[in-house]
Amino acid sequence: MRHTTRLLDIIERSLSGPLMEEEDFNDQHVTQGLSRVVKKYDIQINQDQIINQDDALADRVWEAAVDFLAECGVYCQTTNRVIKFSVQEIKDILKYAPDRVRVGAGTDAVEEYARNVEDSRRPLLMGSSIGTPIEDEFFVPSMISYIQEPEVDVTMAPTLTNIYGYDIRTRSPLEILSSWREVELTLESMRRAGRPGMAFTGVGSSISDIGQLSADGPGGLRQTDLHTFGIISELKTNFEILNKLTHILMRDGVVDPYANPIYGGLGGGMDGQAVLITAAMIALNVFFMATCVGTSPTHPFNFNDTGKELLISSGLSFQALARNSHLMTNLTNTPVGGPGTKTLLYECVALTVMMTVSGGSRILGPRSATGSITGHFSGLEARFTGELLSAASKISRSQAEEIVQKAYKKYENDLTQKPYGKHFKDVYDLKTIQPTAEWQGMYDDVKNEVAKWGLSFD
Amino acid sequence: MANKNEKVISDLGDALKNGLSDEAKALTEAALEGGMEPLAIIEEILVPTLTEIGRRFQEFEIFLPELMMAGEAAEAITAIVEKATLDAGQPSLSKGTIILGQVEGDMHDIGRNIVGMLLKSHGFTVVDLGRDVRASAFLDAAEKENADIVALSALMTTTLPAQKRTINLFSEVRKREEYFIVVGGGAVSEEWSKEVGSDGYSADAAGAVELCKTLMKK
Repeated sequence: MRHTTRLLDIIERSLSGPLMEEEDFNDQHVTQGLSRVVKKYDIQINQDQIINQDDALADRVWEAAVDFLAECGVYCQTTNRVIKFSVQEIKDILKYAPDRVRVGAGTDAVEEYARNVEDSRRPLLMGSSIGTPIEDEFFVPSMISYIQEPEVDVTMAPTLTNIYGYDIRTRSPLEILSSWREVELTLESMRRAGRPGMAFTGVGSSISDIGQLSADGPGGLRQTDLHTFGIISELKTNFEILNKLTHILMRDGVVDPYANPIYGGLGGGMDGQAVLITAAMIALNVFFMATCVGTSPTHPFNFNDTGKELLISSGLSFQALARNSHLMTNLTNTPVGGPGTKTLLYECVALTVMMTVSGGSRILGPRSATGSITGHFSGLEARFTGELLSAASKISRSQAEEIVQKAYKKYENDLTQKPYGKHFKDVYDLKTIQPTAEWQGMYDDVKNEVAKWGLSFD
Repeated sequence: MANKNEKVISDLGDALKNGLSDEAKALTEAALEGGMEPLAIIEEILVPTLTEIGRRFQEFEIFLPELMMAGEAAEAITAIVEKATLDAGQPSLSKGTIILGQVEGDMHDIGRNIVGMLLKSHGFTVVDLGRDVRASAFLDAAEKENADIVALSALMTTTLPAQKRTINLFSEVRKREEYFIVVGGGAVSEEWSKEVGSDGYSADAAGAVELCKTLMKK
C-alpha cells in the first residue's frame, strides 16, 4: 500500500512540529526522557542473566518505550522540528502494522512473519555481510557463497570499495553508478547461484538519497525486494531519509529500515538501552511506515553487538516487542570475530540463539569483523547461523540461557583483541566457492561442541 | 594554606565529576583569587579527575550524558584558567588546536561527540565542524584556526572515501605538511589509515587522546 495520506501526515508534522535545537532534543527529550521512564516503570536488569526470563519486565519495557516515544518524538534535522505522535496515535497505528509479508519472486519467494517469544517457527535469515566493503573482483563469488546456502532466505550486498576504479563520492554521479553496480552484481550473483527470485535489501551504496532514487526502480531494485534506509541515532531524521521513504512508498516496495542505538550513549546503560531500542523499533513503523523494523545496536568501542550489555538489552527489547505487538523485528549480527576464527562462530551462537528465543522475525548477517574490514566475511558463517535458527526454535529461554552463557564465556575475552580473521579469498576456494579445509574444520568443531550443549541440528 | 588548597582541589574535583559547571566556575575563580597557580589547577585537578572520568566511561560505570556534563564543566574551568594565564602574560595552556568533523555524507554524531569531549577534557582546543563536512570546509577551518591536527571521522564504510578525498585536497593545495591529519570512527581500520596516508588512527576515543598527545610532542 502506498499510504499517501499517512505519508503526508508525517511530512506535515515534520514541517509544523515544535521547533527545537538539536542539543536540547538530545538532552531534554532523549536522555531525560529515558531516565524518567526507566524510573517510572522500574526497569531494573539482572546483569547476571543474558536472556530475560521475566515477562513482566519485558511488558514494562514496552510501556516505558511507548510513553517515552510519545513524549520524545523524532527530530527532523532539516526543519529543526520534532515530529510527534501521541500514545493513543502510536497504539492506533501499531494496531494496523503488517504482521506478515511475502518477499522475493517465484520459487525463491519467502514469507516473513511476526514471531512470539519461544516461537517454534524458524526466523528468516538474511545471509549477507550487510554492506562490508569488498573489491570488485570478489563481489560476485563472495555473494554466491551466501546465496548458494539453502539456509539463506534473503540477502544483501556488500559495498564496493570503488566504482570502475574511482572512489565513490556521495551526492555525485559516482554514487548513482555505484548504486546501480551494486544492484547489477547482486542480480548476477543470484542468477549464477540459481536463485534469481531471491529478495535482497538495497540500496546499501546509497549514502544520500540519490542512489536509492535511481537504482530503486525499473531494471534495478524490484518491488519484490526489501527497500532499506537507516535513521540517525538517536531518533533523528532528515529530508534525505524522508525522500527515500517517499520513493519506496511510491514504488510500492517493502519498507525495511533500521535504527542503531549506541550503547553508553544518550540511552545510558542496559535499562535505558532496552527502552531506547524498543522505542526506535516502534518509531520505524509509526514515523517511517516500516513493514519490517530492524536494529543493530552498537558498542561504542568495539563496534559490535555481541557483548554482554547488548545481548541483554537487545534480547529484552525483542521480547518486549514480541509480547506486545505484531511488528516483524530483525536484528543484525555484528560480531568482532572474522572468518577463520572460532570467536566469530561462538558469537554467532550467542546472538542467534538469544534473538530466536526472544521473538525476532529475521536475523541479518553475520556482519563479520564488525563489517569494517574489507573482504572479511564468508557464506559459511551464514550457513551456521541458519542452522542455529532452526535449532534454537526448539528450545526455551531457560535452555537458551545456559547455551548463550557457555558461548559467551568462549569469546568474552576476545572482544577487545578484535580477531578480525581472514579475507574471503583466504578462507574459500574461489573456483569451487567452498570453504577451505581449515575454515570448514573450525565450523565442524564448533558445531559439534554446541550440539553437546543441547542444540539439535537434526 | 595546604588544607585550604586540599579542600579546593577536592571540591573542584567533585564539581567536575558531577558535571556542575556553575559550581566549577565559582570554585575555579575562588582558587585563582586564593593564589592557586593556573597550571596547578590543570595538572592537579583537571587532568587526574578527567582521566578518572574517562576510565569510568570506558568501563561503563558512567555514560555519555555524564561524560558530556563533566566535559562542559571542564570547558568552563579551562576557559577561566586560560584567560587568567593569558592575562598574566603567560603562554596558552592549550595542548593544541584540533579541527574535528564527520566527513562528507556521514550523518552521525554520537561517536564524534565522545571523542571531542575527551579531547577537550584533556586540554585540547577542539573546533567541531559537525557532520557531513565537505573537504574544503576542513581546509578552511584548519587555516582559519591555525590548527595543529585535523581529525576526520567516518562511521560508515560508504563514507570512507571522503576521508581519502579530504586528505588528498590538503595535498593538492600543498597544505598537507602544515597539519597532522588523523582518521577514526567505526568504519576505519589501521590498514585504511595507512592506505590514505594519515598521520595516525585510533580504534577508540581514549586512544584518540593519546594519539593527539603523541603527535603534539613531535
